[in-house]
Amino acid sequence: MLLYVNSKHWGVFIMLKFVDNIRSKPAGGIILLFVSIQIVAIIGGLLYPDSFRYLNPANIAVLLKSMSALGIMAIGVGILMITGEFDLSVGTLYTFCAIVTATVVKEYAMSPYFAMLVGVFVGMLAGVMHASIVNRFTIPSFIVTLGAMLLWKGATLLYHGAKSLRYKYESATYKTVLTGDIGVVDASFLWFLGVGAIFYFVLHHHKIGNHFYAVGGNPEAAVAIGINPKRVKLIAFMIAGGCAALSGVVAMSRVGSVQPGGGLGLELEAIAACVIGGCALMGGRGSIIGIMLGTALIYTIQDLLLLLRAPGFYFDMFVGGLIVIAAVTNVVIRKRI
Amino acid sequence: MENVNYYECKNVTKSYGNLTALDDVNFSIGKNEVVGLLGDNGAGKSTLIKMMSGVVTPDTGKIFVDGKETRISTRKESEEVAGIETIYQNSALCDDMTITRNIFMGREITTNLGFMDHKKMEETSVDVLESGVHISGIDSPLKEIGALSGGQKQAVAIARAVYFKRKILLLDEPTSALSVRETERVLQYVTELKKEDVSSVIVTHNLYHAFQVCDRFVVMSHGKVIFEKNKSDTNLEEVTEQVIKV
Repeated sequence: MLLYVNSKHWGVFIMLKFVDNIRSKPAGGIILLFVSIQIVAIIGGLLYPDSFRYLNPANIAVLLKSMSALGIMAIGVGILMITGEFDLSVGTLYTFCAIVTATVVKEYAMSPYFAMLVGVFVGMLAGVMHASIVNRFTIPSFIVTLGAMLLWKGATLLYHGAKSLRYKYESATYKTVLTGDIGVVDASFLWFLGVGAIFYFVLHHHKIGNHFYAVGGNPEAAVAIGINPKRVKLIAFMIAGGCAALSGVVAMSRVGSVQPGGGLGLELEAIAACVIGGCALMGGRGSIIGIMLGTALIYTIQDLLLLLRAPGFYFDMFVGGLIVIAAVTNVVIRKRI
Repeated sequence: MENVNYYECKNVTKSYGNLTALDDVNFSIGKNEVVGLLGDNGAGKSTLIKMMSGVVTPDTGKIFVDGKETRISTRKESEEVAGIETIYQNSALCDDMTITRNIFMGREITTNLGFMDHKKMEETSVDVLESGVHISGIDSPLKEIGALSGGQKQAVAIARAVYFKRKILLLDEPTSALSVRETERVLQYVTELKKEDVSSVIVTHNLYHAFQVCDRFVVMSHGKVIFEKNKSDTNLEEVTEQVIKV
């Protein structure tokens, strides 16, 4: 759409340009939604500091702390979605890799950092496995990773059993690096920001990022131009697996234990965060900032409901509504005049 | 001019099981030439195009580029060795990506670590859009492809091919999705490209379009080339008759 506006209408022009700008950003809708909700919540917090404790440091600390595990996972899931594939196994893989990490520390007395690398490596290896099956037999990843979801759940029980596992860290540095805090900001939140920053550069500034969009947006075009979609998907699956594992380790380190059945369901929340953040379900569209804000929005809504003393089951209803509202907002905002 | 064929395939055959898609086909593209590849559905035009672009490998037959026998078995080889680029009906562009990212898709200008040099890519895109193509209505290389019209998309795809110094454009039904004005624009552009030493092969059902721009016509039927004449030696009626005869 072109805007030929004569100089008398600068006001209109600037406004249309602004609307155009928002529309052209994949994260435009979510930024608008997120900022509006924050403004409302902050005004509410300022007006009623005693009954609505949104701006209370303790509340902010809890809010930041809680979103990191899902956020790290959602970044991997989102990149895979942009490439046009799904990974439903990230929830159970999250638990499996956390338990592998804990075992490496406990049974083999290895350094927790090394164990973390092992955990992430196992996650990436699982990603390689998922990608190989999807690529080799051209089965939808939805089906392959649905199977993998149950596989990793079973593997967790087989490997460890159904007992919860305590994870103690002897090293004080490790404890600080993973569970320390700076004021209201928890270490796990910094991990979330760090992972987000890394993949921001990968997705938006590295050529492989361009290939993710190309393969998800128009696979035939990607092939025609000489991109190998199988290789690109393999990398995306590895990122999804690695992020799932890392989020498992970060969450386990923060909580100090891991429940063998714990991660199940997170995969859908991660997909929800991505959709809310503007990722297209069929690939080709999405952004890191959108995924991160999508995650933040889910937890903000949850936090607001808790502060308003809404019963717990409201939460799912709202997240469900939010997914649909976000999807609609994205479509409406993208509709061209 | 006609004596020097830039690209030539001789006695090419390709079968899928019992179906012979290409049956002893000879086909050539001269320098600065626009060839119209015509024929009814299932005549083998698409297979021939795919073979030239390296997506399909022939069972038998030889391919010559600039007089030298060449093997082309992948898309990349056809691009790099023969300088062939295919423009599909749904041009090989991603709607959700910007013009710049589409132009450089798979061939990004990067630093040593593989990070994209956005500035350089954008500057080059502006050059590409302004120089060869004169695509009307595109004001910024940061526009998403999805916001462009069908003709503008085709033009971007062709501009991309020209920028990457292709010698031959294969246009598979380039005008089927375009408005009348856009069609004129694309056809005119194909003609202009001859001056820049780019030859084209146009696959089309629209014989009027073909007559407007092509220097030579090749009609296929049931995997065989059944008719081949220069524009000066034939007329619309004769070509039409060849295409519709069973």
